[in-house]
Amino acid sequence: MTTAPARRRPSDFLTEMFRNPLDPGYAEAARRRAERGPEPAGRQVTGRFGRAVVLAATGFLLVVAYHQTVAAQPESSRVRAGLVTDVRDRQRDADRLQQQADQLRDEVARERDAALAAAGTDAGQLSRLELATGTSKVRGPGAVVRLADGPPQVDPVTGKSQPAKYGAVLDRDLQDVANELWHDGAEAIAVNGERLTATSTIRTAGSTILVDFRPISSPYQVSAIGPRDLDRRFTDSRTGQRFHAYVSAYGMQVSVDRRDDLTLPAAADPQLHYAQPVPGASPSPSGGSPVPSRSGGR
Amino acid sequence: MVAVIALAVGVVLGLVFEPSVPLALQPYLPIAVVAALDAVFGGIRAKLDGIFDDKQFVVSFVSNVLVAALIVFLGDKLGVGGQLSTGVVVVLGVRIFGNVAGIRRRLFRA
Repeated sequence: MTTAPARRRPSDFLTEMFRNPLDPGYAEAARRRAERGPEPAGRQVTGRFGRAVVLAATGFLLVVAYHQTVAAQPESSRVRAGLVTDVRDRQRDADRLQQQADQLRDEVARERDAALAAAGTDAGQLSRLELATGTSKVRGPGAVVRLADGPPQVDPVTGKSQPAKYGAVLDRDLQDVANELWHDGAEAIAVNGERLTATSTIRTAGSTILVDFRPISSPYQVSAIGPRDLDRRFTDSRTGQRFHAYVSAYGMQVSVDRRDDLTLPAAADPQLHYAQPVPGASPSPSGGSPVPSRSGGR
Repeated sequence: MVAVIALAVGVVLGLVFEPSVPLALQPYLPIAVVAALDAVFGGIRAKLDGIFDDKQFVVSFVSNVLVAALIVFLGDKLGVGGQLSTGVVVVLGVRIFGNVAGIRRRLFRA
């Protein structure tokens, strides 16, 4: 392949390419040189210079391509890492502020109780009202209903997985669970640590479920304080059976556990701007029962 | 010797300037690199065979890079840019392997 003046017509392109990968131009140039003798010195210098330029260009290209692929990769992950730390920082800040708010709330409650006691008023009535409205921490026996999205669907052709379509937990599901728990005699309910009150909402924004405008994510944990057989009542209810069917049909993960001692956090004080108490109406809840109605928490 | 120095100069230039490639040119970069490598290995083999020619080397480099870029450009316009890029890489890769095999035979007699 070096001696023959390879100018045959290639029988088969691929075979030819595999057999003789060198440009036939080199051989031809060598033959020309052999016929005409060496080139003048000026052209040789130009040739040298061209060769050097081409090689420099090759090195340049290699480095640029290397930078493009390797150095560009960390940049995107760097941006992502920065965002992640940002989110973590904010979460820590929010947690700290939440703790501070809890402490201050406790302090306010203590001061208020002291002030009420000093004024000779019954502080117990207020705490009972707080219990009913969900603005104080409560503990007691109850049940925990855990819901989690079903397994992601895997496309059999491409192997890509996408989020569960039918087994995903929707805001409706959480509403149904909460309603059923109220119906079964629950006295206090929290979803992923967000206490439900009379002004609570459970709704969807995009694909995220918001409880009182705070985003929560799977697995969802609905804790309820109520009668000791709350878990059995829930499981036997029609809602409970429906969720049982979801497990077998869509792969949603549902579990109901009894708890002997649950502590539910306090809800934030509702900011009421427009509602005014009706003058002369009795401030005490009707019948003195702290059990909210079934539609409570919607 | 000159060749190695020139290559090193190119690498240093790239490191010093660290040019950012415009987005429109990014698909051509890997193809250009493979085409350049093909020209370089072809040149090395020709050198070892004793038939190296500067003009041939420069022309093969420029034409390799230009034709490879043109093919990818056409492929992009026709909607088969990825496939044509693969084709270019396969053809040039085969040539590179063939040339490296020739170099190996020259150097190690194996």
